[in-house]
Amino acid sequence: MNAASAMNAAHFEGRGQADDTAPVRIACKDLNFYYGQFHGLKNVNLDFHDRQVTALIGPSGCGKSTLLRTFNRIYSLYPEQRAEGQILLDGSNILDGNVDLNDLRSRIGMVFQKPTPFPMSIYDNVAFGLRLYEKLPKAELDVRVEESLRKAALWDEVKDKLKQSGMGLSGGQQQRLCIARTVAQRPEVILFDEPTSALDPISTGRIEELIEQLRAEFTIVIVTHNMQQAARISQFTAFMYLGELVEFGPTNRIFMNPVKRQTQDYITGRFG
Amino acid sequence: MPGHIVSSYDNDLEDLRRSISEMGGVAEKMMAEATDALVRRDTALAEAVILADKRLDTLQREIEERSVLLIAKRQPMAIDLRETISAIRVSGDLERIGDLAKNVAKRVVAISDQAPAQKIVQGVEHMSDLVQEQLKDVLDAFSSRDVKAAHDVWERDGAIDALYNSLFRELLTYMMEDPRNISFCTHLLFCAKNVERIGDHTTNIAETIHYLATGEALAGERPKNDASNYATVTPAA
Repeated sequence: MNAASAMNAAHFEGRGQADDTAPVRIACKDLNFYYGQFHGLKNVNLDFHDRQVTALIGPSGCGKSTLLRTFNRIYSLYPEQRAEGQILLDGSNILDGNVDLNDLRSRIGMVFQKPTPFPMSIYDNVAFGLRLYEKLPKAELDVRVEESLRKAALWDEVKDKLKQSGMGLSGGQQQRLCIARTVAQRPEVILFDEPTSALDPISTGRIEELIEQLRAEFTIVIVTHNMQQAARISQFTAFMYLGELVEFGPTNRIFMNPVKRQTQDYITGRFG
Repeated sequence: MPGHIVSSYDNDLEDLRRSISEMGGVAEKMMAEATDALVRRDTALAEAVILADKRLDTLQREIEERSVLLIAKRQPMAIDLRETISAIRVSGDLERIGDLAKNVAKRVVAISDQAPAQKIVQGVEHMSDLVQEQLKDVLDAFSSRDVKAAHDVWERDGAIDALYNSLFRELLTYMMEDPRNISFCTHLLFCAKNVERIGDHTTNIAETIHYLATGEALAGERPKNDASNYATVTPAA
């Protein structure tokens, strides 16, 4: 038996669920990002596959949230921040000056670390974006609100109190309400920025379960500080450090057998 | 490799490594002494080997408990996870090696009052020497994480199987020559089988080292030459 061939026979790609043959939904090409003088992202080249969950991990300040924030150009709110390079959403560059930001943000939804329900009823929270972008008859609006709340696994808990304030829900329910509000727009991509870091383990479990279900319909990018969470819910993982993409690959491989030393040191808790 | 941010994590892993080395040392000693006891028909030494197995069992249980606790408390990733899983596997193999050495020792007690020709025992002794070398090499490879050395052990197991086959035939021949040899040779045959099984466990450990170091399973068929399942010897007409 040839030892070398035996060693090469087993490999990780193709195991687990990661499907890198899925079409590319978002492609970053030589992406650079600046906070004024500070170079926050350095030549990031990374593809996000359709209907796969991609986790962005890395120590604080590594650029993972910055990367997430470029996808819906939320950074444009701040004049001193700018992105260079290309971010192709279905092939067209969203960094182009003529992109309609409202349209972009209805295609790429975002859920934040702390639940951000609007101070209005549960129903109105979910209907908010729909009323803004789509003029739907009341009956159709009802259908969309219910559909969204169901997809966010919240319907059964709130169906009898849709007129009550969204602020009265528990933290985990508020976060699912925000997911329902995002889903209602029928986006292509959902960005999650540490969606469970303010939640208890049970609510966290619900959100993780939900993300797995949402994957059937949406391309998902999630920033998380919880390594086990990234390992559990994502198909692909990107490890970033000091504004650079260090390693990207199928989640199973990244967490069992990373190629780069820095990745290994980070995921095993060897540097901070 | 730099240490963990949580330094007690390093201590946990270091403790596992230390216990594995201790187990390895006990297993090596048991095997050497069981062979010695067999060759010299030394029942006192054989009894000592039987007693030593308790220490191995205790160590194995401890390693298993501590590994499970480490997984529960620290959720190890990548190399740490492989290290923990490997500790569980290797301790299991070493515990089995101890059992097999103990079995050899028990048979020494059973055949202590019989004294057939010494050369019949020499075959088993020779085979045991080879397997002890395998065990030593694989334990060294484990502590130095040396995949190449582990591979060498893995590949050499075929030679031990081949030796076992010839020993099998040899013992059958002795039994046919003189029925008074049957009881002794049967015990000896079991001793040889136990030693051969110890060889198999050293290759298991070699496979674990490969997994530990590379994160991949050692694929492909292990070199196997054990044909004794099919071996027969017919008396000359």
